[in-house]
Amino acid sequence: MRRPFLIVGLVVALGLTALWLSGGFDQMQGWLLDQQRAVQSRLAGAVRALRGGQPGALAGLLAVCFAYGVLHAAGPGHGKLLIVGYGMAQRVRLLPLAGISLLASLAQAAVAVALVGAGVLVLGWTRERLVGVSEEVIAPVGTAAIALVGLWLMLRGLLALRAAGQGAGHHDHAYHDHADDARCGHAHGPTLAEMAQVTSWRDAAVLIAGIALRPCTGALFLLILCFGLGIGAVGVAGTFTMGLGTACVTIAVAALAVWAREGVFASLPGAGLGSRMATAIPMLQALAGAAIAGAAVLLLGHPL
Amino acid sequence: MIRTICTTASLWIALAGGALAHPHIFVDTEIEVIFDDQARATGLRITWVYDDLFSMILVEDRGLDPDFDGALTAAETATLQGFDMQWDPGYPGDTYALSGDTPLPLSGPADWTAGYAEGRLTSTHLRRFAEPVGMDQTLVVQVYDPSFYTAYSLLPAVRLTGVEGCSAQVFEPDHEAADARLQAAIEELAGSDDVEGAFPAIGSAYAEEVRITCVAPS
Repeated sequence: MRRPFLIVGLVVALGLTALWLSGGFDQMQGWLLDQQRAVQSRLAGAVRALRGGQPGALAGLLAVCFAYGVLHAAGPGHGKLLIVGYGMAQRVRLLPLAGISLLASLAQAAVAVALVGAGVLVLGWTRERLVGVSEEVIAPVGTAAIALVGLWLMLRGLLALRAAGQGAGHHDHAYHDHADDARCGHAHGPTLAEMAQVTSWRDAAVLIAGIALRPCTGALFLLILCFGLGIGAVGVAGTFTMGLGTACVTIAVAALAVWAREGVFASLPGAGLGSRMATAIPMLQALAGAAIAGAAVLLLGHPL
Repeated sequence: MIRTICTTASLWIALAGGALAHPHIFVDTEIEVIFDDQARATGLRITWVYDDLFSMILVEDRGLDPDFDGALTAAETATLQGFDMQWDPGYPGDTYALSGDTPLPLSGPADWTAGYAEGRLTSTHLRRFAEPVGMDQTLVVQVYDPSFYTAYSLLPAVRLTGVEGCSAQVFEPDHEAADARLQAAIEELAGSDDVEGAFPAIGSAYAEEVRITCVAPS
Protein backbone atom coordinates (compact mmCIF):
# COMPACT_ATOMS: atom_id res chain seq x y z
CA MET A 1 0.00 0.00 0.00
CA ARG A 2 2.62 2.47 1.12
CA ARG A 3 4.91 2.24 -1.89
CA PRO A 4 2.28 2.80 -4.62
CA PHE A 5 0.96 5.76 -2.67
CA LEU A 6 4.43 7.33 -2.54
CA ILE A 7 5.05 6.71 -6.23
CA VAL A 8 1.78 8.51 -7.01
CA GLY A 9 3.34 11.55 -5.30
CA LEU A 10 6.26 11.43 -7.70
CA VAL A 11 3.91 11.04 -10.65
CA VAL A 12 1.82 14.03 -9.53
CA ALA A 13 4.95 16.18 -9.17
CA LEU A 14 6.33 15.08 -12.55
CA GLY A 15 2.92 15.66 -14.13
CA LEU A 16 2.78 19.21 -12.77
CA THR A 17 6.31 19.85 -14.02
CA ALA A 18 5.45 18.51 -17.47
CA LEU A 19 2.32 20.67 -17.57
CA TRP A 20 4.45 23.67 -16.65
CA LEU A 21 7.09 22.90 -19.29
CA SER A 22 4.46 22.53 -21.98
CA GLY A 23 3.05 25.96 -21.17
CA GLY A 24 -0.06 24.61 -19.48
CA PHE A 25 0.29 27.22 -16.74
CA ASP A 26 0.43 30.18 -19.11
CA GLN A 27 -3.27 30.67 -18.98
CA MET A 28 -3.19 30.27 -15.23
CA GLN A 29 -0.54 32.97 -15.05
CA GLY A 30 -2.80 35.41 -16.86
CA TRP A 31 -5.70 34.40 -14.65
CA LEU A 32 -3.55 34.85 -11.56
CA LEU A 33 -2.55 38.34 -12.68
CA ASP A 34 -6.20 39.30 -13.12
CA GLN A 35 -7.02 37.90 -9.69
CA GLN A 36 -4.11 39.73 -8.05
CA ARG A 37 -5.31 42.90 -9.64
CA ALA A 38 -8.89 42.32 -8.51
CA VAL A 39 -7.91 41.52 -4.93
CA GLN A 40 -5.76 44.66 -4.81
CA SER A 41 -8.80 46.68 -5.81
CA ARG A 42 -10.95 44.92 -3.21
CA LEU A 43 -8.31 45.68 -0.57
CA ALA A 44 -8.66 49.38 -1.33
CA GLY A 45 -12.44 49.03 -1.15
CA ALA A 46 -12.17 47.27 2.21
CA VAL A 47 -9.96 50.02 3.66
CA ARG A 48 -12.42 52.60 2.40
CA ALA A 49 -15.35 50.70 3.96
CA LEU A 50 -13.48 50.50 7.26
CA ARG A 51 -12.78 54.22 7.26
CA GLY A 52 -16.41 54.85 6.46
CA GLY A 53 -17.36 52.87 9.57
CA GLN A 54 -19.41 50.29 7.69
CA PRO A 55 -20.48 47.31 9.81
CA GLY A 56 -18.51 44.13 9.16
CA ALA A 57 -15.78 46.12 7.44
CA LEU A 58 -12.99 44.65 9.58
CA ALA A 59 -14.03 41.06 8.84
CA GLY A 60 -14.26 41.99 5.17
CA LEU A 61 -10.78 43.47 5.19
CA LEU A 62 -9.29 40.40 6.87
CA ALA A 63 -11.00 38.12 4.36
CA VAL A 64 -9.51 40.14 1.50
CA CYS A 65 -6.09 40.02 3.19
CA PHE A 66 -6.28 36.25 3.43
CA ALA A 67 -7.18 36.00 -0.26
CA TYR A 68 -4.35 38.41 -1.07
CA GLY A 69 -1.89 36.14 0.76
CA VAL A 70 -3.11 33.03 -1.05
CA LEU A 71 -3.06 34.68 -4.48
CA HIS A 72 0.36 36.23 -4.11
CA ALA A 73 1.75 32.92 -2.89
CA ALA A 74 0.05 30.93 -5.65
CA GLY A 75 2.64 31.93 -8.24
CA PRO A 76 6.13 30.50 -7.81
CA GLY A 77 8.21 32.50 -5.37
CA HIS A 78 11.33 32.35 -3.27
CA GLY A 79 9.56 30.80 -0.27
CA LYS A 80 8.15 27.88 -2.21
CA LEU A 81 11.45 27.37 -4.02
CA LEU A 82 13.23 27.09 -0.68
CA ILE A 83 10.63 24.79 0.86
CA VAL A 84 10.55 22.51 -2.20
CA GLY A 85 14.33 22.55 -2.51
CA TYR A 86 14.87 21.78 1.11
CA GLY A 87 12.07 19.21 1.15
CA MET A 88 13.67 17.41 -1.80
CA ALA A 89 17.19 17.74 -0.45
CA GLN A 90 16.69 16.69 3.13
CA ARG A 91 14.71 13.72 4.32
CA VAL A 92 12.80 16.04 6.57
CA ARG A 93 9.40 14.79 7.72
CA LEU A 94 6.23 16.61 6.67
CA LEU A 95 5.30 18.04 10.05
CA PRO A 96 8.56 19.92 10.68
CA LEU A 97 8.61 21.18 7.09
CA ALA A 98 5.00 22.37 7.35
CA GLY A 99 5.90 24.02 10.66
CA ILE A 100 8.81 25.83 9.01
CA SER A 101 6.44 26.99 6.23
CA LEU A 102 3.95 28.40 8.72
CA LEU A 103 6.58 30.06 10.92
CA ALA A 104 8.35 31.54 7.89
CA SER A 105 5.11 33.10 6.58
CA LEU A 106 4.29 34.58 9.99
CA ALA A 107 7.88 35.77 10.42
CA GLN A 108 7.65 37.44 7.02
CA ALA A 109 4.59 39.32 8.25
CA ALA A 110 6.42 40.22 11.48
CA VAL A 111 9.37 41.63 9.52
CA ALA A 112 6.98 43.83 7.51
CA VAL A 113 5.28 45.06 10.69
CA ALA A 114 8.62 45.73 12.42
CA LEU A 115 9.97 47.58 9.38
CA VAL A 116 6.94 49.81 8.89
CA GLY A 117 6.44 50.25 12.64
CA ALA A 118 10.01 51.37 13.18
CA GLY A 119 10.19 53.32 9.92
CA VAL A 120 6.94 55.26 10.21
CA LEU A 121 6.47 55.62 13.95
CA VAL A 122 10.07 55.98 15.14
CA LEU A 123 12.19 57.15 12.23
CA GLY A 124 9.60 59.11 10.28
CA TRP A 125 10.50 57.53 6.95
CA THR A 126 8.55 58.14 3.77
CA ARG A 127 6.95 55.34 1.79
CA GLU A 128 9.71 55.47 -0.84
CA ARG A 129 12.38 55.24 1.85
CA LEU A 130 10.65 52.28 3.49
CA VAL A 131 10.25 50.29 0.29
CA GLY A 132 13.83 51.20 -0.60
CA VAL A 133 15.19 49.90 2.71
CA SER A 134 13.13 46.75 2.33
CA GLU A 135 14.46 46.04 -1.14
CA GLU A 136 18.02 47.29 -0.86
CA VAL A 137 18.95 46.38 2.71
CA ILE A 138 16.69 43.66 4.08
CA ALA A 139 16.03 41.58 0.96
CA PRO A 140 19.77 41.12 0.12
CA VAL A 141 20.33 39.71 3.62
CA GLY A 142 17.48 37.28 2.96
CA THR A 143 18.98 36.43 -0.42
CA ALA A 144 22.32 35.71 1.25
CA ALA A 145 20.55 33.36 3.66
CA ILE A 146 18.91 31.61 0.69
CA ALA A 147 22.27 31.24 -1.07
CA LEU A 148 23.75 29.89 2.16
CA VAL A 149 21.06 27.20 2.42
CA GLY A 150 21.66 26.25 -1.22
CA LEU A 151 25.44 26.07 -0.98
CA TRP A 152 25.28 24.18 2.30
CA LEU A 153 22.90 21.57 0.85
CA MET A 154 25.03 21.25 -2.28
CA LEU A 155 28.19 20.78 -0.23
CA ARG A 156 26.55 18.17 1.96
CA GLY A 157 25.26 16.35 -1.12
CA LEU A 158 28.60 16.38 -2.92
CA LEU A 159 30.51 15.21 0.16
CA ALA A 160 28.04 12.40 0.69
CA LEU A 161 28.26 11.43 -2.99
CA ARG A 162 32.01 11.20 -2.69
CA ALA A 163 31.72 9.18 0.49
CA ALA A 164 29.25 6.85 -1.20
CA GLY A 165 31.55 6.50 -4.21
CA GLN A 166 34.48 5.51 -2.04
CA GLY A 167 32.35 3.14 -0.04
CA ALA A 168 31.37 1.31 -3.22
CA GLY A 169 35.03 1.02 -4.20
CA HIS A 170 35.05 3.15 -7.32
CA HIS A 171 36.07 6.69 -8.09
CA ASP A 172 33.96 9.20 -9.79
CA HIS A 173 35.89 11.03 -12.50
CA ALA A 174 34.68 14.38 -11.30
CA TYR A 175 36.60 14.00 -8.07
CA HIS A 176 40.00 12.90 -9.33
CA ASP A 177 41.26 16.44 -9.11
CA HIS A 178 40.66 16.44 -5.44
CA ALA A 179 42.37 13.17 -4.67
CA ASP A 180 44.60 14.89 -2.12
CA ASP A 181 41.86 15.76 0.26
CA ALA A 182 39.83 12.65 -0.40
CA ARG A 183 40.79 11.36 3.02
CA CYS A 184 38.62 13.97 4.58
CA GLY A 185 35.58 12.63 2.74
CA HIS A 186 34.57 10.05 5.26
CA ALA A 187 34.74 12.44 8.14
CA HIS A 188 32.72 15.17 6.48
CA GLY A 189 30.14 13.17 4.57
CA PRO A 190 27.02 12.75 6.65
CA THR A 191 25.78 9.20 6.98
CA LEU A 192 22.40 8.06 5.71
CA ALA A 193 21.14 7.95 9.27
CA GLU A 194 22.25 11.50 9.88
CA MET A 195 20.50 12.68 6.75
CA ALA A 196 17.28 10.96 7.70
CA GLN A 197 17.22 12.78 10.98
CA VAL A 198 14.79 15.54 11.62
CA THR A 199 16.22 18.81 10.43
CA SER A 200 18.33 20.70 12.90
CA TRP A 201 17.13 23.96 14.37
CA ARG A 202 19.97 25.74 12.61
CA ASP A 203 18.67 24.67 9.18
CA ALA A 204 15.18 25.74 10.18
CA ALA A 205 16.37 29.14 11.41
CA VAL A 206 18.28 29.92 8.20
CA LEU A 207 15.35 28.72 6.07
CA ILE A 208 12.89 30.90 7.98
CA ALA A 209 15.27 33.88 7.75
CA GLY A 210 15.69 33.36 4.01
CA ILE A 211 11.94 33.45 3.51
CA ALA A 212 11.03 36.09 6.08
CA LEU A 213 13.68 38.67 5.15
CA ARG A 214 11.88 39.55 1.96
CA PRO A 215 8.78 41.41 3.11
CA CYS A 216 5.91 41.34 0.65
CA THR A 217 5.44 44.76 -0.88
CA GLY A 218 1.68 44.30 -0.64
CA ALA A 219 1.95 43.98 3.13
CA LEU A 220 4.15 47.08 3.28
CA PHE A 221 1.56 48.99 1.24
CA LEU A 222 -1.25 47.94 3.55
CA LEU A 223 0.74 48.80 6.68
CA ILE A 224 1.86 52.21 5.40
CA LEU A 225 -1.69 53.02 4.39
CA CYS A 226 -3.18 51.91 7.71
CA PHE A 227 -0.54 53.66 9.85
CA GLY A 228 -1.14 56.80 7.79
CA LEU A 229 -4.88 56.57 8.37
CA GLY A 230 -4.44 56.00 12.09
CA ILE A 231 -5.69 52.40 12.00
CA GLY A 232 -2.30 50.73 12.47
CA ALA A 233 -3.68 47.81 14.49
CA VAL A 234 -5.93 46.87 11.57
CA GLY A 235 -2.91 46.91 9.28
CA VAL A 236 -0.99 44.61 11.61
CA ALA A 237 -3.94 42.19 11.83
CA GLY A 238 -4.31 42.30 8.05
CA THR A 239 -0.62 41.62 7.50
CA PHE A 240 -0.60 38.53 9.71
CA THR A 241 -3.78 37.36 7.97
CA MET A 242 -1.96 37.72 4.65
CA GLY A 243 0.81 35.59 6.20
CA LEU A 244 -1.70 32.87 7.08
CA GLY A 245 -2.97 32.91 3.49
CA THR A 246 0.59 32.56 2.21
CA ALA A 247 1.25 29.74 4.69
CA CYS A 248 -1.67 27.70 3.29
CA VAL A 249 0.03 27.60 -0.08
CA THR A 250 3.56 26.91 1.20
CA ILE A 251 2.30 24.11 3.47
CA ALA A 252 0.57 22.49 0.49
CA VAL A 253 3.81 22.84 -1.46
CA ALA A 254 5.76 21.32 1.44
CA ALA A 255 3.41 18.32 1.44
CA LEU A 256 3.88 17.83 -2.30
CA ALA A 257 7.66 18.07 -1.95
CA VAL A 258 7.77 15.39 0.78
CA TRP A 259 5.34 13.18 -1.12
CA ALA A 260 7.34 13.45 -4.37
CA ARG A 261 10.68 12.90 -2.62
CA GLU A 262 9.48 9.75 -0.91
CA GLY A 263 8.10 8.73 -4.30
CA VAL A 264 11.59 9.02 -5.79
CA PHE A 265 13.00 6.76 -3.10
CA ALA A 266 10.12 4.30 -3.26
CA SER A 267 10.46 3.97 -7.03
CA LEU A 268 14.14 3.01 -6.86
CA PRO A 269 14.59 -0.71 -7.35
CA GLY A 270 16.06 -2.26 -4.26
CA ALA A 271 15.16 0.71 -2.15
CA GLY A 272 16.10 0.16 1.44
CA LEU A 273 19.08 -1.99 0.52
CA GLY A 274 21.10 1.16 0.78
CA SER A 275 23.32 1.21 -2.28
CA ARG A 276 21.02 3.16 -4.61
CA MET A 277 19.64 5.22 -1.80
CA ALA A 278 23.18 6.12 -0.85
CA THR A 279 23.64 7.77 -4.25
CA ALA A 280 20.11 9.04 -4.82
CA ILE A 281 19.80 11.01 -1.60
CA PRO A 282 22.99 13.06 -1.92
CA MET A 283 22.39 13.47 -5.66
CA LEU A 284 18.97 14.96 -4.99
CA GLN A 285 20.48 17.07 -2.25
CA ALA A 286 23.27 18.49 -4.44
CA LEU A 287 20.74 19.20 -7.22
CA ALA A 288 18.31 20.99 -4.98
CA GLY A 289 21.14 22.90 -3.32
CA ALA A 290 22.53 24.06 -6.67
CA ALA A 291 19.06 25.15 -7.79
CA ILE A 292 18.48 27.15 -4.61
CA ALA A 293 21.91 28.81 -4.77
CA GLY A 294 21.39 29.66 -8.45
CA ALA A 295 17.99 31.13 -7.76
CA ALA A 296 19.52 33.28 -5.01
CA VAL A 297 21.95 34.72 -7.57
CA LEU A 298 19.01 35.58 -9.82
CA LEU A 299 17.17 37.18 -6.91
CA LEU A 300 19.98 39.70 -6.37
CA GLY A 301 18.81 43.05 -7.58
CA HIS A 302 15.46 41.62 -8.50
CA PRO A 303 12.80 42.82 -6.08
CA LEU A 304 9.70 40.77 -5.53
CA MET B 1 27.99 14.37 -12.89
CA ILE B 2 28.68 17.99 -11.96
CA ARG B 3 27.51 18.85 -15.46
CA THR B 4 24.25 16.97 -15.04
CA ILE B 5 23.66 18.69 -11.73
CA CYS B 6 24.34 22.12 -13.22
CA THR B 7 22.11 21.55 -16.24
CA THR B 8 19.23 20.22 -14.20
CA ALA B 9 19.62 22.98 -11.65
CA SER B 10 19.64 25.72 -14.28
CA LEU B 11 16.50 24.28 -15.83
CA TRP B 12 14.87 24.35 -12.43
CA ILE B 13 15.92 27.96 -11.90
CA ALA B 14 14.62 28.88 -15.34
CA LEU B 15 11.24 27.44 -14.40
CA ALA B 16 11.12 29.29 -11.11
CA GLY B 17 12.72 32.49 -12.38
CA GLY B 18 10.13 33.19 -15.04
CA ALA B 19 7.41 33.78 -12.55
CA LEU B 20 9.38 34.84 -9.49
CA ALA B 21 8.35 38.43 -9.86
CA HIS B 22 4.82 39.52 -9.38
CA PRO B 23 3.49 43.03 -9.80
CA HIS B 24 2.33 45.30 -6.99
CA ILE B 25 1.17 48.27 -9.00
CA PHE B 26 -1.36 47.93 -11.80
CA VAL B 27 -1.61 50.67 -14.41
CA ASP B 28 -4.13 50.93 -17.22
CA THR B 29 -2.40 52.63 -20.11
CA GLU B 30 -3.89 54.56 -22.97
CA ILE B 31 -1.81 55.56 -25.98
CA GLU B 32 -2.43 58.47 -28.28
CA VAL B 33 -0.19 58.86 -31.34
CA ILE B 34 0.09 62.41 -32.63
CA PHE B 35 0.82 63.00 -36.32
CA ASP B 36 1.98 66.06 -38.26
CA ASP B 37 0.44 67.33 -41.50
CA GLN B 38 2.61 64.96 -43.54
CA ALA B 39 1.15 61.95 -41.70
CA ARG B 40 4.40 61.40 -39.78
CA ALA B 41 4.21 60.48 -36.11
CA THR B 42 5.69 63.20 -33.91
CA GLY B 43 4.97 62.00 -30.41
CA LEU B 44 2.96 59.93 -27.95
CA ARG B 45 0.59 61.07 -25.24
CA ILE B 46 0.53 58.43 -22.57
CA THR B 47 -2.25 58.16 -20.01
CA TRP B 48 -1.68 56.15 -16.84
CA VAL B 49 -4.61 55.17 -14.63
CA TYR B 50 -3.35 53.75 -11.33
CA ASP B 51 -5.12 50.97 -9.42
CA ASP B 52 -7.33 51.78 -6.41
CA LEU B 53 -4.87 50.71 -3.73
CA PHE B 54 -1.82 52.47 -5.08
CA SER B 55 -3.93 55.59 -5.77
CA MET B 56 -5.15 55.51 -2.18
CA ILE B 57 -1.58 55.20 -0.87
CA LEU B 58 -0.30 58.09 -3.00
CA VAL B 59 -3.22 60.32 -2.06
CA GLU B 60 -2.94 59.46 1.63
CA ASP B 61 0.83 60.00 1.44
CA ARG B 62 0.20 63.59 0.38
CA GLY B 63 -2.45 64.21 2.99
CA LEU B 64 -5.07 64.74 0.29
CA ASP B 65 -8.72 63.67 0.29
CA PRO B 66 -8.99 63.69 4.11
CA ASP B 67 -12.75 63.08 3.94
CA PHE B 68 -12.03 59.95 1.91
CA ASP B 69 -14.79 60.47 -0.62
CA GLY B 70 -12.59 59.65 -3.62
CA ALA B 71 -12.67 63.20 -4.98
CA LEU B 72 -10.33 66.17 -4.64
CA THR B 73 -10.90 69.91 -4.53
CA ALA B 74 -9.45 72.07 -7.30
CA ALA B 75 -6.68 73.24 -4.97
CA GLU B 76 -5.84 69.65 -4.04
CA THR B 77 -5.76 68.63 -7.70
CA ALA B 78 -3.35 71.50 -8.36
CA THR B 79 -0.86 70.14 -5.82
CA LEU B 80 -1.04 66.77 -7.51
CA GLN B 81 0.37 67.93 -10.86
CA GLY B 82 3.57 66.16 -11.84
CA PHE B 83 3.35 63.67 -8.94
CA ASP B 84 4.76 60.83 -11.08
CA MET B 85 6.94 62.90 -13.39
CA GLN B 86 10.09 63.23 -11.25
CA TRP B 87 11.99 60.63 -13.23
CA ASP B 88 15.45 59.43 -12.33
CA PRO B 89 18.00 60.15 -15.09
CA GLY B 90 17.99 57.29 -17.55
CA TYR B 91 14.54 56.03 -16.58
CA PRO B 92 12.93 55.10 -19.91
CA GLY B 93 9.42 55.76 -18.64
CA ASP B 94 8.28 52.18 -19.22
CA THR B 95 7.31 53.19 -22.76
CA TYR B 96 9.26 51.96 -25.78
CA ALA B 97 8.68 52.80 -29.42
CA LEU B 98 9.98 51.07 -32.54
CA SER B 99 9.67 51.74 -36.23
CA GLY B 100 9.74 48.23 -37.64
CA ASP B 101 12.63 46.77 -35.63
CA THR B 102 14.45 50.08 -35.04
CA PRO B 103 14.09 51.55 -31.55
CA LEU B 104 13.02 55.20 -31.55
CA PRO B 105 14.44 57.53 -28.91
CA LEU B 106 11.78 59.39 -26.93
CA SER B 107 12.08 62.76 -25.20
CA GLY B 108 11.57 63.14 -21.47
CA PRO B 109 8.01 63.72 -20.28
CA ALA B 110 6.38 67.05 -21.09
CA ASP B 111 2.99 68.77 -20.79
CA TRP B 112 1.87 66.56 -17.96
CA THR B 113 -1.51 66.52 -16.25
CA ALA B 114 -2.87 64.70 -13.21
CA GLY B 115 -6.33 64.02 -11.88
CA TYR B 116 -8.23 61.92 -9.37
CA ALA B 117 -11.65 60.43 -9.96
CA GLU B 118 -13.57 57.58 -8.40
CA GLY B 119 -10.62 56.82 -6.15
CA ARG B 120 -8.15 56.40 -9.00
CA LEU B 121 -5.25 58.64 -9.92
CA THR B 122 -4.75 59.46 -13.58
CA SER B 123 -1.81 61.18 -15.17
CA THR B 124 -0.89 61.96 -18.74
CA HIS B 125 2.36 63.08 -20.33
CA LEU B 126 3.78 63.70 -23.78
CA ARG B 127 6.88 61.98 -25.19
CA ARG B 128 8.21 63.38 -28.45
CA PHE B 129 10.13 61.47 -31.09
CA ALA B 130 13.60 62.90 -31.86
CA GLU B 131 12.39 63.49 -35.43
CA PRO B 132 9.08 62.83 -37.18
CA VAL B 133 8.63 59.14 -37.95
CA GLY B 134 7.49 58.12 -41.41
CA MET B 135 4.83 55.45 -41.45
CA ASP B 136 6.28 53.27 -44.21
CA GLN B 137 6.97 50.73 -41.49
CA THR B 138 4.76 49.59 -38.64
CA LEU B 139 5.04 51.82 -35.58
CA VAL B 140 5.18 49.69 -32.44
CA VAL B 141 4.62 51.06 -28.93
CA GLN B 142 5.34 48.76 -26.00
CA VAL B 143 4.53 49.44 -22.37
CA TYR B 144 6.31 47.44 -19.72
CA ASP B 145 8.38 47.62 -16.56
CA PRO B 146 11.45 45.40 -17.11
CA SER B 147 11.34 44.31 -13.45
CA PHE B 148 7.58 43.64 -13.64
CA TYR B 149 7.05 45.57 -10.40
CA THR B 150 4.37 47.51 -12.23
CA ALA B 151 1.99 45.70 -14.55
CA TYR B 152 0.88 47.87 -17.45
CA SER B 153 -2.12 46.87 -19.46
CA LEU B 154 -3.05 48.66 -22.65
CA LEU B 155 -6.57 49.94 -23.03
CA PRO B 156 -7.91 48.86 -26.42
CA ALA B 157 -8.85 52.43 -27.35
CA VAL B 158 -5.75 53.77 -29.11
CA ARG B 159 -6.15 57.30 -30.43
CA LEU B 160 -4.54 58.36 -33.70
CA THR B 161 -4.67 62.14 -33.85
CA GLY B 162 -4.21 64.12 -37.04
CA VAL B 163 -4.06 61.29 -39.54
CA GLU B 164 -6.38 59.26 -41.71
CA GLY B 165 -6.01 55.81 -43.20
CA CYS B 166 -4.08 54.40 -40.23
CA SER B 167 -5.20 51.74 -37.84
CA ALA B 168 -4.01 50.51 -34.45
CA GLN B 169 -4.23 47.11 -32.90
CA VAL B 170 -3.35 46.04 -29.37
CA PHE B 171 -1.49 42.74 -28.98
CA GLU B 172 -1.26 40.59 -25.90
CA PRO B 173 2.14 39.11 -25.05
CA ASP B 174 3.06 35.78 -26.59
CA HIS B 175 3.80 33.84 -23.42
CA GLU B 176 5.22 30.83 -25.22
CA ALA B 177 7.75 32.94 -27.14
CA ALA B 178 8.52 34.93 -24.00
CA ASP B 179 9.19 31.77 -21.98
CA ALA B 180 11.48 30.51 -24.74
CA ARG B 181 13.41 33.78 -24.64
CA LEU B 182 13.71 33.58 -20.88
CA GLN B 183 15.00 30.03 -21.16
CA ALA B 184 17.63 31.12 -23.69
CA ALA B 185 18.68 34.03 -21.48
CA ILE B 186 19.03 31.76 -18.46
CA GLU B 187 21.10 29.23 -20.38
CA GLU B 188 23.40 31.96 -21.56
CA LEU B 189 23.71 33.18 -17.99
CA ALA B 190 24.45 29.69 -16.70
CA GLY B 191 27.15 29.15 -19.34
CA SER B 192 29.07 32.31 -18.55
CA ASP B 193 31.07 33.27 -15.50
CA ASP B 194 29.30 36.58 -15.34
CA VAL B 195 26.58 35.44 -12.99
CA GLU B 196 26.86 38.79 -11.22
CA GLY B 197 25.02 40.34 -14.14
CA ALA B 198 21.51 41.54 -13.50
CA PHE B 199 18.45 39.43 -14.08
CA PRO B 200 18.00 39.16 -17.85
CA ALA B 201 15.85 42.00 -19.10
CA ILE B 202 13.11 39.78 -20.44
CA GLY B 203 10.33 42.20 -19.53
CA SER B 204 9.86 43.29 -23.13
CA ALA B 205 8.95 39.76 -24.16
CA TYR B 206 6.00 39.90 -21.77
CA ALA B 207 4.97 43.40 -22.88
CA GLU B 208 1.67 44.35 -24.34
CA GLU B 209 2.11 46.37 -27.47
CA VAL B 210 0.16 48.43 -29.92
CA ARG B 211 0.99 48.25 -33.64
CA ILE B 212 0.05 51.14 -35.87
CA THR B 213 0.01 50.66 -39.61
CA CYS B 214 -0.89 53.11 -42.34
CA VAL B 215 -1.99 52.42 -45.85
CA ALA B 216 0.55 53.90 -48.27
CA PRO B 217 -1.03 56.81 -50.19
CA SER B 218 -1.68 55.68 -53.74
